[in-house]
Amino acid sequence: MIEVQSLSKNYGDRPAVKNISFKVNKGEVVGFLGPNGAGKTTTMKIITGFMAPSQGEVRVAGFDVFENPLEVKSRIGYLPETPPVYGDMSVEDYLFFVARLRKVPGPQVATYVRDAIDKTNLGDVRKRMIQNLSKGFRQRVGLAQALVSKPEVLILDEPTVGLDPRQMAEIRQLIRQLRGHHTIVLSTHILPEVEASCQRVIIINQGQIVAEDSIEGLLRAQSASRRVDLRVKRPTAQLEAELKGLNGVLRVAAEANPGQYQLEIDNRDETVEQIAHRVVGGNMGLLQLHVQAMGLEDLFIHLVTSEHGGAQ
Amino acid sequence: MRGTLTIAWKDFKSLVNSPLFFFLAGACCAIWSLNFLNLLGDFAQRQMFGAESSIHFTVFLSHLSTVNIILLFAIPALTMKLLAEEKKMRTYDLLLTAPITATDIVMGKFLAGYGAALLLLTISFLYPLATSLVSDFHFGPLLTSYFGLSLLLAIYVSVGLFSSSLTQSVMFSVILGVIFILGLWFMSQGINVSDNPTVQTLMQHISLGEQFSGFIRGSLRVSSVVFFVSTAVLFVFLTQRVVESSRWR
Repeated sequence: MIEVQSLSKNYGDRPAVKNISFKVNKGEVVGFLGPNGAGKTTTMKIITGFMAPSQGEVRVAGFDVFENPLEVKSRIGYLPETPPVYGDMSVEDYLFFVARLRKVPGPQVATYVRDAIDKTNLGDVRKRMIQNLSKGFRQRVGLAQALVSKPEVLILDEPTVGLDPRQMAEIRQLIRQLRGHHTIVLSTHILPEVEASCQRVIIINQGQIVAEDSIEGLLRAQSASRRVDLRVKRPTAQLEAELKGLNGVLRVAAEANPGQYQLEIDNRDETVEQIAHRVVGGNMGLLQLHVQAMGLEDLFIHLVTSEHGGAQ
Repeated sequence: MRGTLTIAWKDFKSLVNSPLFFFLAGACCAIWSLNFLNLLGDFAQRQMFGAESSIHFTVFLSHLSTVNIILLFAIPALTMKLLAEEKKMRTYDLLLTAPITATDIVMGKFLAGYGAALLLLTISFLYPLATSLVSDFHFGPLLTSYFGLSLLLAIYVSVGLFSSSLTQSVMFSVILGVIFILGLWFMSQGINVSDNPTVQTLMQHISLGEQFSGFIRGSLRVSSVVFFVSTAVLFVFLTQRVVESSRWR
């Protein structure tokens, strides 16, 4: 449905996206994951035809974004980071305006608007001015705006940013409901969101794709290592260096609390035994030694902080 | 075309329902009312002393020049939000990702601004119209003057729209708009800059005042109509290029 080929974008001399390629199949929900400033928004804006790439090409439903921008735009519903709403309009008037703008055939406009309002639960506020709505409702109006023309592709740029936990859950629930009806590309830096909504993840860092797979696939690839949370009462100054020196310890990070460490280790039980031996033998007062499989969050941090993440 | 009309209608409604429009219309009414009464009073006095003068040249012409001066400042204030605010509020994203062309967007915005400007012009027309209830005069020169003024407004709106496309700040957009319009008016001052007859003729042709004077005298010159329309089209075209170019930056 979406094909991105060797896409690059520079802002002046600064590259924002460097030669990325990926595909999104029809009906898929793909999470676009990366830290702030990784190039997520730029890539999405290029797919929607909002801006042109410096190099490369993008095809949506077989149409090139730059040769047939209108064909592409009529198939895409886009929710930018800031919902593009007019404060001086009522929710209903606004959705009528967007439906007409997106070329919904005249007689169907009212039905499409009603469907979008129903899907996003905006029925109670349909007559209210958008400027008087809370941020959560505005975000929903933004989502309704993306849905109103029943597009084949939905591009959602950080749809839950700035919402409270309950509103976040509502939006995620809504995105889950949309699965199967639309091809969805969702960008975020919030990991539970990806785990909750997406079938496949593309992780992007500093303008490059560092990993691309299903969530299970990514975790499987990562299962060669495990995470250890370690807490000791009397840490010595050399403890961190000592832990790093142990055979099988891949990474050690000291946490903000003194005596608390997060380690990445291999799969062997001997490694855990060595850590325990070192701490107990040094009489440092072992308080916690918790070994667990790597989660998406660990993987993400690993990928975006390691210089060689691109080797994935 | 449908995209143009959708945007035009939405923006027109939002413009004329805004507090700004009410304020502008109120201020225009106040100034024009005071001024028009004064002009009528002067004219009546002169008539009493038996001076021969035409109501068109003494009253209406002065009224028209006040209308023009006020609208010269009011129109950029009216059009300032058309594109600058869209950029600031990020609703620009909505327009640029909708299946419409940059031309649709700019034409829609222009029609909305022009509609609101014509509404202000209609208000100013009520004064001579009311005068016709108590006085007999030829409507011809008045109508051609108003036709000329409506073409002039098209230029003001297109220039205002152009300056609105250049910035995110509404204040800067107004200032830029007024400077551009004043620039167009003062272009005729260039007549004295050079002794070269070709330059002088050229300056005369591109001077708003020179082209407008024909309409005031009651004559409809095709060349003036073409000049006004093409100047407005030029600025609409420039705006279209600015909007289109935002994709390439």
